[in-house]
Amino acid sequence: MKRRGRGMACMWYPIGFTVAANPSAAVVKVNEDGTATLLTGTVETGQGSLTILAQIVAQELGIATDDVHVVSADTDATPMDTGAIASRTTYVTGNAARIAAEKAKETLFEVAAPLMAVKPSQLEAADHKIFVKGFPQRNMHIGDVANHARVVSGQPPIGSGYFNPETLALDPETGQGKPFGTYVYATQIAEVDVDDETGEVEVVRIVASHDCGTAINPMLVEGQVEGGVSMGVGFALEEEILFDANGRQLNPNLTNYIMPTSLDMPEVEVDIVDNYDPTGPFGAKGVGEPTLVPTAAAICNAIYDAVGVRITALPATSEKVFKALQAKREQQPKQIGAAPNGGAGSSASVH
Amino acid sequence: MVNVTLKVNGETRSATVPPETTLLRLLRDQFNLTGAKLGCDVGDCGACTVIVDGKPVNSCLMLAGQADGREVLTIEGLANADHLHPLQKLFEHFGSLQCGFCGPGVIMSAKALLDENPNPSAQEIRDALGGNLCRCTGYAKMIEAIKGASCILRGEEIPAVKSAFVTE
Amino acid sequence: MPDKPRVIEKPDVLEKPDILKPPAPAPLVTFPVEVVVPEGRQQTPAVGQRATRADARLHGLGQTKYIDDMYFPNMLFAKIKRAGIASARIKSIDTKEAEAMPGVIAVITGRDIPCNSFGPSLKDQPVLASERVFHAGDGVAAVAAVSEQIAAEAIEKIKVEYEPLTPVLDPLESLKLETPGVHAPSANIYGHKLIKKGDVEKAFAESYRVFEGTFRTQMVEHVPLEPYACIAQWDANGRVTVYSTLGRITLGRADVARTLGIPMSRIRIIATVVGGNFGGKNEIRAEPVMALLSKKTGRPVKCVYTRSEEFTASTTRHPLVMDYKTGVSKQGKILGRKIRLVLDGGAYCSWSETTLGKACILSAGPYNIDNLYAEAFVVYTNKTMTGAMRGFGAPQVCFAYESHMDDIAHALGLDPLEFRLMNAFEEGSISPTGQKLHSVVVKESLLRAAKRFGWNGLGDGNGTGVKA
Repeated sequence: MKRRGRGMACMWYPIGFTVAANPSAAVVKVNEDGTATLLTGTVETGQGSLTILAQIVAQELGIATDDVHVVSADTDATPMDTGAIASRTTYVTGNAARIAAEKAKETLFEVAAPLMAVKPSQLEAADHKIFVKGFPQRNMHIGDVANHARVVSGQPPIGSGYFNPETLALDPETGQGKPFGTYVYATQIAEVDVDDETGEVEVVRIVASHDCGTAINPMLVEGQVEGGVSMGVGFALEEEILFDANGRQLNPNLTNYIMPTSLDMPEVEVDIVDNYDPTGPFGAKGVGEPTLVPTAAAICNAIYDAVGVRITALPATSEKVFKALQAKREQQPKQIGAAPNGGAGSSASVH
Repeated sequence: MVNVTLKVNGETRSATVPPETTLLRLLRDQFNLTGAKLGCDVGDCGACTVIVDGKPVNSCLMLAGQADGREVLTIEGLANADHLHPLQKLFEHFGSLQCGFCGPGVIMSAKALLDENPNPSAQEIRDALGGNLCRCTGYAKMIEAIKGASCILRGEEIPAVKSAFVTE
Repeated sequence: MPDKPRVIEKPDVLEKPDILKPPAPAPLVTFPVEVVVPEGRQQTPAVGQRATRADARLHGLGQTKYIDDMYFPNMLFAKIKRAGIASARIKSIDTKEAEAMPGVIAVITGRDIPCNSFGPSLKDQPVLASERVFHAGDGVAAVAAVSEQIAAEAIEKIKVEYEPLTPVLDPLESLKLETPGVHAPSANIYGHKLIKKGDVEKAFAESYRVFEGTFRTQMVEHVPLEPYACIAQWDANGRVTVYSTLGRITLGRADVARTLGIPMSRIRIIATVVGGNFGGKNEIRAEPVMALLSKKTGRPVKCVYTRSEEFTASTTRHPLVMDYKTGVSKQGKILGRKIRLVLDGGAYCSWSETTLGKACILSAGPYNIDNLYAEAFVVYTNKTMTGAMRGFGAPQVCFAYESHMDDIAHALGLDPLEFRLMNAFEEGSISPTGQKLHSVVVKESLLRAAKRFGWNGLGDGNGTGVKA
């Protein structure tokens, strides 16, 4: 018989490296037509970071995402970057890119100000224009300013910037300190069906409510959550590298290392928590790793809700769940009533 | 060495290759059609999926010699100079691909499905993608895009789903 | 189908020299002229837009060039011989037969690496093992040949004589002081972290109830769809360009400079579009080997891992053994928590220090706990290297602390949601390391998820009945 259960798990996760400096540097060049190029040492690993960085630079310059071309990942041509790791790209490289764009924008304002008979501090950039704050009808197209900068003023608008999160080393004895610049938070709730005769677990639905600060691109955040949940489902139920007694892997292949296919995936509902982090670029933090962190616990808590067995060792394969169910049934006549309490000695837990 | 002559994306191509050459290697190394990818070389991941005589096939499991005289469609044959195939258009707009490595294989599996079943349910789409592994996306936006592409191909409206294609 | 090289009966490669030429260029590739820019990319302001990715169209057309899609004239293909034994001393390596094979252009071993150690923190990883093997995926030699098949066959012909040693496989065994050191004379415990706040024993003494639980997680692999790959080539000025799937090119350049003993300004690392990383491509793998083979042969050299090597010869996620003890008040307020984590640190340190630190810091969960004692150890074993994998210890400890939280909630008869809300961080809460937290929304995420899901309180552990 299939029993349905639901379980929740929440989590916190840091952005950036633990204490250690992990800077990113960036360069933004504004072209004579008002489009721009961003140079960044980060590496696009599939998560869409280059699009996010383009959006951040575009926002700062008041132009569109498509107007920003991103050149990345070349130690000769692009500035240093600590890397696409620790969910740091949006926050650290994003801040660096924003600062670089801001510096390029300062040059544009310096050039535009006398042309509009104002001080640079009175200018703003949005909708492809540079305009006087509070007087949008007094504006120039950003391309005209950029072209003027090159051919008349002789001041090419180039900005470079860098960012490193503020941290404080941890005391070696108590671990007290400030290891990260910021953290993100999330909750996932899983709904599962457990076959109480075979131990098979099917994940039906997962609601994932994730904080990423400002969502620079909600579509890419959804993609990260959906992908992270798939890794979480695999971690919870299927994946395991097995070793023989001599320390050699038994299943170094995709036939016997089981990872989620399209048939294993639940319905994933993505919810982005409204939030704004003033230390991040336009309030953004990050989301890459947190997406798979709470999934396994949510699923295992749901299994407990469904059939009353606590799996304490991942993956919760059907064999493990089956054995736990058997053990629970054997215990049943000796126990009166209540569900087993949470303890290491709980007979419903199986290693 | 074996001589292989086959139609690839509508064009007749030939090559002379060692007999153990797979169709995947033939396409990638001899014809420079690098869309089909080598993810495992043993038929587990589906990154090498192409369509042979109308059926989706793991090209790493087919010998080049077995493809002699057949018609092969690869990802490079879907779009033409004027238009993207609706699958490619919607995969782009819905954000269905992230690292993109599994993309050609998934799209070819989807194409084979839509050729056979112009109005697949979400479950039928999942079944068709069952042999294509993806580590980045969780498959969710792929299924949305394939459903949407099936609508376009039937001349119908795409259902309102959250996507960059449909302005909110 | 087994992952072994295909045997060539006759050296056709020499009889048919055409095979050595680069493949014919593809016929006219028709780039679609449809250049409609999706609306999301044209909108201002840019932040908040569902902008499509610039690479999305190329991915869908199959036009994205990953490293294995790149071809350079005269390029050679490299394969690395894997030890296949978890712990051993290397007595001798005989490469003569491999070197003599037609089509093999160069063979190198660990002895050829000028500085044969690297690592993001502890530099205990060899580029190619030269004296000792610490896990079955250790590389012991590399071959560059005119085709992948020949390279794969050649590594089979390399004869390595091992003196097998007893491997240590269980991290809890490795934790014991009497267990022989995997990297003797270094201790097996190669990392330790402690976080202390308040007085946890006193808190337990004052608790209404104290709960304990032990949780374990397994070793898993990133499984990026694109296996690790790199290409190296030199120019006449003695500069090497390495195309790599590396996610950290600045570090990669530093490591190539160090292992090859050349200045950084002579090295260019280009990371092309990567087919998935997830942490497994965050330190160098074969870049120095390819650079050396390329230097030795005067030709570009490409190496692509097999799927099997992705499992055995690249990093994995740390398995953890986690002991939790929590004391609560009658109302369900957490008074104290004590945690011990043992990380299986595999054969080499790799990203273990980072994982250790994060796991320890995060291990108490997003909860206000005044009395905390969290101690974490990472130990060597002779298993596959454990390194960075999406989460750095967080998925493991979250599994433990959230399962533990539910166990406690059920035992106290509390709704798991209410129990969490009672204890969770708020804006300005103090973290386990004494940091004042800002931009905190864990309660908001709990409430939003619960509402969206339709959460309706504590279940009875027997499921809600038969599925329709």
